[in-house]
Amino acid sequence: MKAYLSVFRMRLRMETQYRGAMLGGIVCQMFFGLILIALYRALYASKPQAMPLSGVVTYVWIQQAFFRMLAATDSDLADKIRTGNISYDLCRPVSMYGFYYSRAAAQKLTGSLMRAVPMLVFAALLPEGWCISLPASLPGFLLALCALLLGLLCVCALENIMVAFTMRTLDPRGMQGLLTLLMMTLSGNILPLTLFPDSWQKVITLFPYAQLLDAPIRLYTGEYPPSEAPRILLTQLVWILVLVGTGLAMWRSCRKRMILQGG
Amino acid sequence: MNTIRLYLRSMGMLIRCQLEYPVSFFMQTLAQLVMEGGEMMAVILVIDRFGHLGQWEPGNLFFFFGTMSVCFYLTEMFGRGVTGNFPYLVRSGQLDTLLLRPRGLLTQVLCSAVDPRRITCVAVGVTALVLGSRMSSIAWTFPKALAMAESILMGCALILGLFLIEAVFVIFSVKSVELVNALTYGGRSACEYPVDIYPRPLRILFSIVAPFAMVMHVPCSWIMDRPLYGWPAWTAFVCPLSGALVLGIMVLVFYRAIRHYRSTGS
Repeated sequence: MKAYLSVFRMRLRMETQYRGAMLGGIVCQMFFGLILIALYRALYASKPQAMPLSGVVTYVWIQQAFFRMLAATDSDLADKIRTGNISYDLCRPVSMYGFYYSRAAAQKLTGSLMRAVPMLVFAALLPEGWCISLPASLPGFLLALCALLLGLLCVCALENIMVAFTMRTLDPRGMQGLLTLLMMTLSGNILPLTLFPDSWQKVITLFPYAQLLDAPIRLYTGEYPPSEAPRILLTQLVWILVLVGTGLAMWRSCRKRMILQGG
Repeated sequence: MNTIRLYLRSMGMLIRCQLEYPVSFFMQTLAQLVMEGGEMMAVILVIDRFGHLGQWEPGNLFFFFGTMSVCFYLTEMFGRGVTGNFPYLVRSGQLDTLLLRPRGLLTQVLCSAVDPRRITCVAVGVTALVLGSRMSSIAWTFPKALAMAESILMGCALILGLFLIEAVFVIFSVKSVELVNALTYGGRSACEYPVDIYPRPLRILFSIVAPFAMVMHVPCSWIMDRPLYGWPAWTAFVCPLSGALVLGIMVLVFYRAIRHYRSTGS
């Protein structure tokens, strides 16, 4: 366990190095957030919905703030798989899956937190109708934080499954690209899941992709009242177990058929 | 003429190269389809829930979305050298070799890459265009077809021009600058919908600084017989020319900037 924690810590430190890129990313995401909110405001002006506009605005801001949690991928690992340098990792006295799981967790945690904090502060300072609203209740907020942490664990497990496909095809742009795009749509990044047709939402919110950010956001906005929280957190936990189990099995079978290319 | 032949020959070679790995190519093309299909699904779901947007009917919205997709992805497909490959050329120092050859630099950059995977994105755009045209029952006439062709051509010019801004930044900073993408990708996201729904600052940004609205929304709304801001018909033919203007200015800026190019030395 200690080994994984130190991998996690090392990666945390590395991620904090690229401050310039981070600043550019923040401005970019904020601009996208403003465009999306302008669009939803125009749509709401035409035809108001059951879900209040402030809920959609909050949804958009949190999605944009934690964009890196979904989007950040470990490009080192993809290179290692292609060049065969991954063989060095086989020599390490730790589980390869755990090693990369902690790396992904650190990367996604710092990547998103470092951007989310300034962005959410900015989003809170915007005028009424554009700004992120306060959490529905204090327990709701705390539960949303728990759900966000579980969402992080879930997205790392998903990431490792995608990497397992890369181990087979050697090209991260194929299957991994496909699954990343699927994740963007089904996690509510392109269109808030709350604006999907109501009948679809019943199914989509059970998918693993909805556990990443959609569940925490709904706890935050109070769409899921705190009394429903145990059910939500349990769904997340079950998915984490299933995804980690699947990922472990896939990595193990990849390891068996691993052929090292080159010398 | 020679330049165009050179470009076409390079495109042919590059496409054949990519087809050497059919499975990977197929998967990537499919991924593109999922991406653009996802975008279109978002528009469909928005229309399903909200019905209409200001004065615009669902058919109009599909038409705007289609125009943007077709322009953007045609540019990414045939202008890949500028939109995707240029930062790599600078970072790896390969631009030096291009500078030595007796051909125009931008021609060579454009000849250096093509992205045939985007064909599915363009197909999604064309589907949206056809759907939008049917739903808004457009009576196509020759002037309207001409306006559409001009709009798409100028749209590509505009987007290529905007990507050249990033190229200019890369010449100075070597690292690709995420921030500049805000204008290109942000413009794409925003101007999938007609510009008049946005608040004034965004309207100004996308009409004057990055004139997506002039190039796409003015002619498209005229084609659908609902001219934007009630502007007269001739604007549908004159406004799109701003795309060529942006490209022209950026080409000049690009050649100025390249004089300050210092190789990375690698």
